[in-house]
Amino acid sequence: MNLDPVPLTRAQRLALTTASFLFLVVATMSLGPLIAGSGWWWLCAFIAAGVLFSGVGLRALRTTAALVPVLELVVLLLLLTLVFSAGSSIALIIPTQGTFETFAQLISGAARTIEQQSVPAIPVPALTFALAFGVGVLAVLVDILVQTVRMPALAAAPALVPILIPGFIIEAGAEVPTLVLAAAAYLLLLRIDVRVRRRARLAAGDLDDDAATVVPPKRVPIASTLGATLGLAAVGILTASLLAASTPSISTSLLLGTPGQGTLFARGVSPFIDLGRDLRRPAPRPAFHYLARDGDRPYFTLLTLDRFEGEVWGVTEQAVDGDNTVDAMPRPDGLSSAVETSEHPIDVVVDEVRTTWLPVPYPATSIEGLDGSWFWDDGSLTVRSVDTNTAGQRYRVNRLEIDPTPAQLRAAPRDLPDELAPFLELPDELPAIIGETAASVTAGAGSPYDAAVAIQAYLRSNEFDYSTEAPVAEGYDGGGFDVIAKFLEVRAGYCVQFAATMAVLARESGIPARISIGYTQGSPSDDRVNGVQRVEVDTHDLHSWPELYFEGVGWVPFEPTPGRGTVPGYSRPGAGEGTNTPTQSAAPATPGASDRPDVDADRGLAGGTSDPFATNAWWIRGGSLTLAVIALLLIPAAIRAGQRLTRRRRIRAGEWAADAAWEELTATAADLGAGVADVETPRAVAARLGEREAFIAAEPRTALIALRDAVERERYGPAQLGPGTPGQDLLDELSVALAALAADAGPAERLRAALAPRSLFARVRRAFGERPPAGA
Amino acid sequence: MSRSRSARVKAWPRLSRRGTTLVVVGVLLLAVSLWFDLRDILLLAFVGIAMPLVAIAFVALRTPRLAVTRMFAPPVVGAGGATRVALIVKNRSRRTFDGAHWRDRVPDGLKGPAEAILPAVGPYEGVLPSGDDTLRLEYRLRMPRRGVFSIGPLVIGIADPFGLARIDREVGTGHEVVVTPRVTPLDAALGTAASVDGVLHGLQRRTHPNSDELIAREYRYGDPLRRVNWAATARRGELMVREEEQRGDPEARLILDTTLAGRPKASSLRRERDDGGHIGYELGIEIAASVGVHLLERGYRVRCDHLADPEHGALSPASPGGYRMPGGDRALLEDLARLEGPARIGSGAALEVASDAEARPRAREARMPGVVVLVDPDEQDARSVIAMRSGFEPAIAFVLESVAQGVVDALEEADWRVVRVRRPAEIAGAWAGTALPARHQAPARAARSRAVVPRPEAVTPDEP
Repeated sequence: MNLDPVPLTRAQRLALTTASFLFLVVATMSLGPLIAGSGWWWLCAFIAAGVLFSGVGLRALRTTAALVPVLELVVLLLLLTLVFSAGSSIALIIPTQGTFETFAQLISGAARTIEQQSVPAIPVPALTFALAFGVGVLAVLVDILVQTVRMPALAAAPALVPILIPGFIIEAGAEVPTLVLAAAAYLLLLRIDVRVRRRARLAAGDLDDDAATVVPPKRVPIASTLGATLGLAAVGILTASLLAASTPSISTSLLLGTPGQGTLFARGVSPFIDLGRDLRRPAPRPAFHYLARDGDRPYFTLLTLDRFEGEVWGVTEQAVDGDNTVDAMPRPDGLSSAVETSEHPIDVVVDEVRTTWLPVPYPATSIEGLDGSWFWDDGSLTVRSVDTNTAGQRYRVNRLEIDPTPAQLRAAPRDLPDELAPFLELPDELPAIIGETAASVTAGAGSPYDAAVAIQAYLRSNEFDYSTEAPVAEGYDGGGFDVIAKFLEVRAGYCVQFAATMAVLARESGIPARISIGYTQGSPSDDRVNGVQRVEVDTHDLHSWPELYFEGVGWVPFEPTPGRGTVPGYSRPGAGEGTNTPTQSAAPATPGASDRPDVDADRGLAGGTSDPFATNAWWIRGGSLTLAVIALLLIPAAIRAGQRLTRRRRIRAGEWAADAAWEELTATAADLGAGVADVETPRAVAARLGEREAFIAAEPRTALIALRDAVERERYGPAQLGPGTPGQDLLDELSVALAALAADAGPAERLRAALAPRSLFARVRRAFGERPPAGA
Repeated sequence: MSRSRSARVKAWPRLSRRGTTLVVVGVLLLAVSLWFDLRDILLLAFVGIAMPLVAIAFVALRTPRLAVTRMFAPPVVGAGGATRVALIVKNRSRRTFDGAHWRDRVPDGLKGPAEAILPAVGPYEGVLPSGDDTLRLEYRLRMPRRGVFSIGPLVIGIADPFGLARIDREVGTGHEVVVTPRVTPLDAALGTAASVDGVLHGLQRRTHPNSDELIAREYRYGDPLRRVNWAATARRGELMVREEEQRGDPEARLILDTTLAGRPKASSLRRERDDGGHIGYELGIEIAASVGVHLLERGYRVRCDHLADPEHGALSPASPGGYRMPGGDRALLEDLARLEGPARIGSGAALEVASDAEARPRAREARMPGVVVLVDPDEQDARSVIAMRSGFEPAIAFVLESVAQGVVDALEEADWRVVRVRRPAEIAGAWAGTALPARHQAPARAARSRAVVPRPEAVTPDEP
């Protein structure tokens, strides 16, 4: 808390700033695992350099210390304008109204992208803006701590922010080399500070009259302590590494009994959160509508569940790949040129669906007209955004229509590439009924295709009823294998059970299978736009269906749910050289029946585990946030208490005891708002305090006067009387006087004095009021 | 002056505020990283914990090899003056010594220089010394009080390169600086007193009983004929006269009350309160110093004794016969400077026997000037002072405020010239007052009590 009065030269300030810049930039580097590429880092370095070195320039111009951080923030604003909104600015850097609108959009985009992206995140402009802004603010904080308050050791606090983030988001946390570098940069900053301080004090040594004259040797090697510095740093960091490596991991589950999901940032993205919100709408709401010039009525896939873990179906988490832009989507997996394909454009206008997943027919070749950054996932070709959502989107998707013939499907070989192995995985303890059913259903099938057709026919047969109530009533809601086993016995359920059962049976029969979630083709309206019929899709069209893989054709959708959607022509039993166009079944015929199951679609398939997570996360997050806020609020009180303890120790030790006692008295008086100015003499302060009501009584008055006399004797008396005043008397007198002061103040004042001590803030104000010295 | 190469550990190495903060932050980070299972932060947490500990080990293991020479200019300084302390620090190690602070340890009551940076010193140069291994430090030390003070040893605070830990080591040894009591210049009051002349002659006769042994010199115009040395004239064939000493060896006695026998026995409490020393005692020493130096400058041989043992209680065993010029003033002042607080010396019974045996015969023969400084004598002291009256002419007693009125009356009864002094500023005036005949004492006393300022004619005799 003490303010170093020694002025620094420009070169010394520059050295300190350079070290802080290095430290900050290295600390920023630890965000590396979270964000793809390195351009964002260079941008952050640019911003940090601009802010920090402008501080050096401002101080060289002898700007008032209090003004420097403000001006640095202005510089930050100019730089952000230059980088992110040069178009709407004057002379590239002067922000205008439009600039701030851009910034506002970027900020809201940043909030979304942080929510939605998984690691490594694509540095979309919104994210880069957030990073640049954050680093700029941290740079201002570092500059205040290093240059204004002159406590560079505290610069670790702002720099810890970027270092801590990765640990909360990814399991591995920041990379070890980066951390070591950051520690080294921190030590470098400390070292430079020590040197600068020494130099400055040596240079300023002559100011005092009684100070010693020091005649240093003429030449001394500059690198005199380089070896010691490096050695010490190396030993320290090595020791730390050894200790860190040998510390056993105590996970939160041991301490809390719950998995450590209580993080501020989402680990990856749960695709079901946004979707679930839409699915739970009680009344049908329009999701989107589309115009298919060629009369296409495809299913729209939102996302694809490919992992079956026994209890739930889930998505293999996949980082967004920044190269997978939607203007050119790849040819779907496994599709050979032999299969007849054709491209049909579909114009989609989103009405009310709000997810980060774009409803896109599978497969598509390209999407145009989207706002924001959208990327496709490998394999499933589902499209998601990292910084925006589907709200208000209008886009044209070029659908690739695949027309496989049953012959082509039947010709698909049984041996599959290795990368499809995950789509065949089944839990070990599969209930016997599943295997038996699969075996009996596919008994006569000569090929995987025949087996798939047989399974679909089996599920669509009269033995199975479409029922939304049965699974809930019988207690087998969901998509797990226990549910499937039960479903195969009861033979009643809705799309979730049908899709899951078909996928599991297909896997059991050796056909790679996955489940898609999305919308059925919707219902055509009477509206026509340019002669094209408009098709409305609402929340009741939410659906899930299995997709099976056939080498040479790729992923092919099936429709095992009776009474829903369309059954693809190739999947009909006995389909051969018949019509290829999908036959439409009476999809919207039973809206009441299709309502309920789809409400629970996500929970049934995968949401089972997300709910307890959510509540726990809320609990932990809220608790830790509250704790953090309380801790932050208590910081001034803690500092003040520490000060009080130090002074009491000084009194007891007899080092300027009366001085310490008096300081404590005046500080407490200031805290309580007694209006004690620093510049007043003890006598004036004592006179003023003596007028207060509490000091009319004899005991506090004598204590006050004794304290005043003691401090006067110590400060102005002969030096030999200085140290060594008896400590216990002073302590007693001090506590009497303090008690009197406290008794005089109201409870509100006392609370304020404890939580927000004014004496501390006065010190802070003084730190910022410090003018740059003349020699700087 | 002595040199020392050793650097002793003064205290345990301790963490600086920065180091403590780092440890605290490290522990907090450790808790956070364990709680949230953040393995990456664990590393930084341990850096925060380990760095200060490594720094402690570093400063504890790092022993500087320095040679320190300390010199005072001047080595003897009057109270209230200042001396320049010059330190030469030589690096005896093969490595550059950097990153340290220095502070000279001074006794309580003195204000040494504030802790300052010790600039880097180069490695020891065995051959071809260019001075890069040497560092000069100089500071002014104010000496407000009389006494002998040990300055040093030099305290070197060594910090690690990151300023996380430090240790204070003492280098070299302490050296004494003598602070003599303040000397007030006095007028030649005693010398003009007519009564002294006789003493001088008597002394002269006594110290040079056989003038024949004196060396002859050639006759100069104006030499009285009765001083012609005929024997020498016969030998040299030239008129020779007896060479006589210009002056004798006058002696004066200075007796100082150092025991303060009259003060209450339970005075130990009082002494603790004002550690600046007994004020009256210091004033007595100042009077003794002023008078002693004055007498020495007038050519007297000065014997300075403790009041408790006037015959054997010389201030310093080194000069039992008294002080004489040249050099006597310095020796006297130094001995006075070395006087510690009021304390009894020897045992009273043995002293009285001795004083009776030796003091009397001499007193008959030649009466010398005697000055007694009384601070707080008891009755026995007063009796022995009164007994000494016969040996002294003039007999002056400086009496401080603390002297009991009964003692003062008894002294005046015994024809001591009693001079009262209350503060140092009155010394010159009081001394001038002794020159006046006794009947003028009353106005002089009135003048003293009127103001602190000494009488004008005593201070500025040159101004008409």
